[in-house]
Amino acid sequence: MADKKNHDERLEIIMNQFAESVLVQSDAVILAETSESGVDPQREAEQTRLVLRQASKRFDEVNMRLSSLGHTINPNDWQRGQRGYHTTCLTCGSFVNFTTTTGEMRGDALDALCLERDQYAIRRREGSR
Amino acid sequence: MAYSLPCCKPPEPPETLFPAPSRINASPKSALLVENDESLLNFLRRSLTDEGYAVRTAANSEEGLRLYRDCAPFAVVLIDYCVPQRSGIGIDYLAPLTHGIGLATAIHEINPSQGIIIAALDYRNAAEVPRPQQLMHIPLVTDISNFQLRSLLTKIEVERMIEMLTTPELLKLRRFGDFRVRGLGRAARGRTGEDLLSEALLRTLIGAGNSQKGRHWNRDVDFVRHLAGAMQSISNCWKRQFNETEAYLVSEFPKHDEDGQERSPLDNVAAGHAAVDQCLIEKDEQSRVLAMFDDDREAAQVLWGLLDGLTKTEIMSRYGLDKNKLAATERRIRVKLARKNGNRGEKNGR
Repeated sequence: MADKKNHDERLEIIMNQFAESVLVQSDAVILAETSESGVDPQREAEQTRLVLRQASKRFDEVNMRLSSLGHTINPNDWQRGQRGYHTTCLTCGSFVNFTTTTGEMRGDALDALCLERDQYAIRRREGSR
Repeated sequence: MAYSLPCCKPPEPPETLFPAPSRINASPKSALLVENDESLLNFLRRSLTDEGYAVRTAANSEEGLRLYRDCAPFAVVLIDYCVPQRSGIGIDYLAPLTHGIGLATAIHEINPSQGIIIAALDYRNAAEVPRPQQLMHIPLVTDISNFQLRSLLTKIEVERMIEMLTTPELLKLRRFGDFRVRGLGRAARGRTGEDLLSEALLRTLIGAGNSQKGRHWNRDVDFVRHLAGAMQSISNCWKRQFNETEAYLVSEFPKHDEDGQERSPLDNVAAGHAAVDQCLIEKDEQSRVLAMFDDDREAAQVLWGLLDGLTKTEIMSRYGLDKNKLAATERRIRVKLARKNGNRGEKNGR
C-alpha cells in the first residue's frame, strides 16, 4: 500500500511536470502538439475561452441578482465552504451561497429586498428637492 | 534654377529601449471618467488612479462622447448616470435623467465590447435604475464604497484579458489544467481540467481587491501565469481535502475500453471473488496511463523511469536514450495524454 501511495505521488509529480512543461512551450509547439493529438487547436482554444467567459458570467449573475435586491456585498468577502462560496449582506446580514460548478444560488438574501438599505442615507437626487 | 535633393540614405532612427508612446489612451490602463460633480469627480479619479489607470475626464455627455470618439478604446469608461448633456446646464432632478444612459448607449453602439461602468449613486439598488435592455449587462455602482468599484474594475480587466488570450495561450491553460487534474487521480473526484480553470477564474474575481482571500491578481504577473498558479494551488487544495480511504465509485472507472466498447469494471471479476476491491483498485489512474503506452516501448520506459523516481539523466542512461530521443518521447507522451483527455469528452465520473 505504501508503495502504491508512493507511485500515486510520483504519478502526480510527473503530471505536474508535464503541466509545467506546457507553459514554457513555444506557440508553434503547443499548436503542433494539439493538432497531433487529433484536436482542432482553434476550436479547443475557443472552447477554453468559453469556459472562462462562463465562469465570469456565473459570478456576474450572483452579484447582479444581489445588487438588484439592494444587498450590499463586499465582493472580496466570499468565503469558501463545502458547497461553493458564501457571504452575507453587509447591511441586513442575510446569507447567500453559490456553487461554482453549476452557478446555483441559494440563501435568504435571494428571497427578498434588503429592507435596511438606505434607511438613513440621503441620496443626491432626494437632497436636491 | 533647378534644385535637387542630395542623394543619401535616410538617417537611421535612434535606438530606444522602449517603444515610443503613441497617445495617452494607448496604455492598456486608460480610463474615461464622465462626471460633473466636483467632489465625486475627485473621488472617482483618485480611485481610478490608485488602481493604476491613466484618467481622462469629461464633465458632460457631449464632451464624453467627443473624447471617446477621439481617444477610444479605453480599458474602462465610468459614467455618472446623472451627468448633464453639456456644460452650463444644471441638472433638473425632476426631469428624466437620460444623458448618462444616452452616452453609455452611444459608446456601446460604437464598441459593444467596451468595458463600461455606470455610477447610479441616486438609486438604492440596480433594479431601480431605468435603462434599456441592451445596457442591462453593464455593471452599476450604486454604493460609493471603494471595494465595489475596485471589484468591478478588476472584473472588466479580467474580461478584457480573457478576450485578449491567444490560441496558444488558451491551449496552454487547457493542457495545464488537464495535466493537473490527471495528476490528482481519485482526488479529482470527477472534476475536469475545465472545472479547475473555471475555479481559478472565480477565485481571481473573488480575490479582486484583496490579497488575503481568493486569488489576488497582481497585474504585473502575466495573466496565463496567474491562472496557472491559481490552478496549481486549487488542485493542491483538492488533494489535501481528499480522504484516501474514501470508497471507490463504479463511475470512477472507465466505462469504455480502448476499442470503444462499453464495459463494466465488474465484468471480469468472478462472483464472490475475495478480492473484488483489489481488482478495482488496480485499475487506477497509473495503470490507465501506463496501459496507453503498451505499444510504445520508449514511452513506457520513460514513464516507468519517472515513476521509479529517476532523473532524466538516469533514464537516458538506463534505457540508452539520448537527449533528443528523450525529448521526442516526452512529446509523444504529452500528445497521447492530450488525445486521451480530448477523447474523454464527458465529465469524468459524472
